[in-house]
Amino acid sequence: MRSAWSLGLLLATAAIAQQRNFLACPIVRDTKTVPCFLAEYQGELYYLGIQQDITAEFHPPQLKHEVLVEGRVAEGPRVCGGIPLKPLSISVVKEVNLACDTLLPAEPGIDAPPAPRGPGPSSRPLVLERPAETRNGKQEFTVHFAFNDDYVEFHAIQAVNQAAAYAKKIGASAVKVTGYRATTLLSNGTSLVEKAGLAEKRAQEVATLLRGSGVASVSADWKADAEPGDGQTDPSRRRVTIVVTP
Amino acid sequence: MHRYLIVLAFPLALAAQYQGLRNVWIEPGSKETIPATDQFDNPNGSLGVIQASGPVDTNGHPFFTPLGTNGRACVNCHQPTYGMSVSAAGLRERWQATDGKDPVFAAFDGSNCPDLPQDQESSHSLLLHRGLFRIPLPWPPRNPDGTLKPVEFSIEVVRDPTGCNTSREYGLNSAHPMVSVYRRPRPAANLKYVLSGAQPIVLKTGMLADRDPETGKFVSMNLMADAREPSLMTQAINAILGHEEARKEPTPKQLETIVAFESQVYAAQVEHIFAGQLVLPGGPMSLGPAALRDRRAGVLGDNSYDPVFGLFDSWKEKDYYRASIARGADIFMFRQFWLRDATHINSIGLGNPLKRTCATCHNAQMTGQDLSAGWVDVGTTNFPTWTEPATWAETSELPVFKITCSKDADPHPYLGRVIYTTDPGRALISGRCVDVGSIVMQQFRGLSARAPYFSNGSARNLREVVDFYDRRFDMKLSETEKDDLVNFLGVL
Repeated sequence: MRSAWSLGLLLATAAIAQQRNFLACPIVRDTKTVPCFLAEYQGELYYLGIQQDITAEFHPPQLKHEVLVEGRVAEGPRVCGGIPLKPLSISVVKEVNLACDTLLPAEPGIDAPPAPRGPGPSSRPLVLERPAETRNGKQEFTVHFAFNDDYVEFHAIQAVNQAAAYAKKIGASAVKVTGYRATTLLSNGTSLVEKAGLAEKRAQEVATLLRGSGVASVSADWKADAEPGDGQTDPSRRRVTIVVTP
Repeated sequence: MHRYLIVLAFPLALAAQYQGLRNVWIEPGSKETIPATDQFDNPNGSLGVIQASGPVDTNGHPFFTPLGTNGRACVNCHQPTYGMSVSAAGLRERWQATDGKDPVFAAFDGSNCPDLPQDQESSHSLLLHRGLFRIPLPWPPRNPDGTLKPVEFSIEVVRDPTGCNTSREYGLNSAHPMVSVYRRPRPAANLKYVLSGAQPIVLKTGMLADRDPETGKFVSMNLMADAREPSLMTQAINAILGHEEARKEPTPKQLETIVAFESQVYAAQVEHIFAGQLVLPGGPMSLGPAALRDRRAGVLGDNSYDPVFGLFDSWKEKDYYRASIARGADIFMFRQFWLRDATHINSIGLGNPLKRTCATCHNAQMTGQDLSAGWVDVGTTNFPTWTEPATWAETSELPVFKITCSKDADPHPYLGRVIYTTDPGRALISGRCVDVGSIVMQQFRGLSARAPYFSNGSARNLREVVDFYDRRFDMKLSETEKDDLVNFLGVL
């Protein structure tokens, strides 16, 4: 029993040791194909991802803004000169920071990983809608947000659309929307708390989108207090849940 | 050598072209019949206009008949000769021909401000020099039900060369506060494309799209420079109440007739002064108004297999100008550059900067608009990338506003919380700070017939459009590339 507890503690400690949660200016490195997005923390360079289209899982950060990086050091070689992080969440800090302006030219030997879409026009049709999943009964959908943000971006729109489609398909008797705000624990021990009122704003926005999409019986609620951070799963708590009841 | 010959030949060819110049100004109430197909000359060749439903009898037709009090009809600002818009050169000719009495120069919005002496040319300088009509917008903005919209910023007038924004009667501090901005009229043609692509949720904002009040359906929000009108019907009502100064709304029958007319007009260049006829078997599929009439709307063209304006490969080995046009089409589709600091492009998850091409944003097949609701701050109106003034000392006829965003609002993504602008664009409708300077991009068709360009009329010709983008995004275009792009845009 004691050894199991010790092993658990050891694994948790190891996971935290591999976690990198930090604020930094993004660095953009051009390559022969698409640009890589990187960020530096404590003298080490981390690879965040590459430019793709709007349907890609990774949405790059922005120059002129700091980026909140929440990721875990992944196995494998460096990518674009940086240590890869996976899973990874990035959030663009809203305030403008003119110091964040590093765009590096391409260099021989530093290549982006293979990109489904290059920097020119697409070579394949853009699939904007996810295929509908087979669902039955009471279902929960989760709409994720970037830190301190209420922008319902592309992937969040997909989640709302899926919830709306399911609610309309089954003629839902109740659709309960609940908004949350969260805390992010940085690797340096600092806590970043999302702004007050954000949970309500997120919930109201998602409820408005559902109603506008033709969903009836939508109610909105929110948890005004920010949920605590653990430094490992914080991005998953910046959310709105949609519970659809038949 | 070839090029020098062409340069020498230019004045001769141009002179020949203008000997038979066909350039028609349709006056309201003129009772003429518009043929099913027509052609009008312009500096780059000629424009073809198709009435897909057949000849149009303008006698009593509400698009061609004054419905208000100032003698204007829709046709005043949407002339077939000018691609269903109107050019600044055409307006100057009209001023000369009528001694400034044409109703297009109506005090309400055909002058820099209604309280200026209307008989003086200088009072209409923005219309005569840049083709700009005054658009007075109530401040703060209101919802369709009349309630006030929440606003995230304050607005101050910093510079007011027209006097209208500080006017006691028409200004921001008047009894009915207004912000006057000055914009080009958009073409009332090819509208099935402009109206296509509606989605329930706008990708750029994550908010619900506006709805057509008549059908209840979501709309494209690509109709107006600031997306303030959801449908052709609401646009017609407010244009007649505003631009025509009508005292009552048009009848349902009049509206139906106007919308039906606008929905069947197609306009595009059909002839280029040096490249000759543009619509030829085996040529690019997109050219000419018949292609616009026949092709499907709402198709994404930002791809290499079915591009925005089709493939121009068959022209690559042809004569000098057709080859140049084909290279221009390739530059538009394939020439990469760093798209930077453009709100509602870089800020929607695509990253900043974005290494892409013109077609990334101008992605709707056949028109080059954005298939998503298309307001973008490309930088034409916001300091420091704005088209003007370069310095305070520079004479500019555009007003300058100072926008200060509330600390609780999301700031403008690249300019922060204090923004100087000559036109706040979409923000005057949405009340949102992130929208300051965002203007809905417009279609690329019939460009040769309707200079100047950009919503503020700042680009006198297509070369100045290309030069703006070259500067704005540091594209490092060569002179040949610029010529190719200008030639390409000129045949659309």
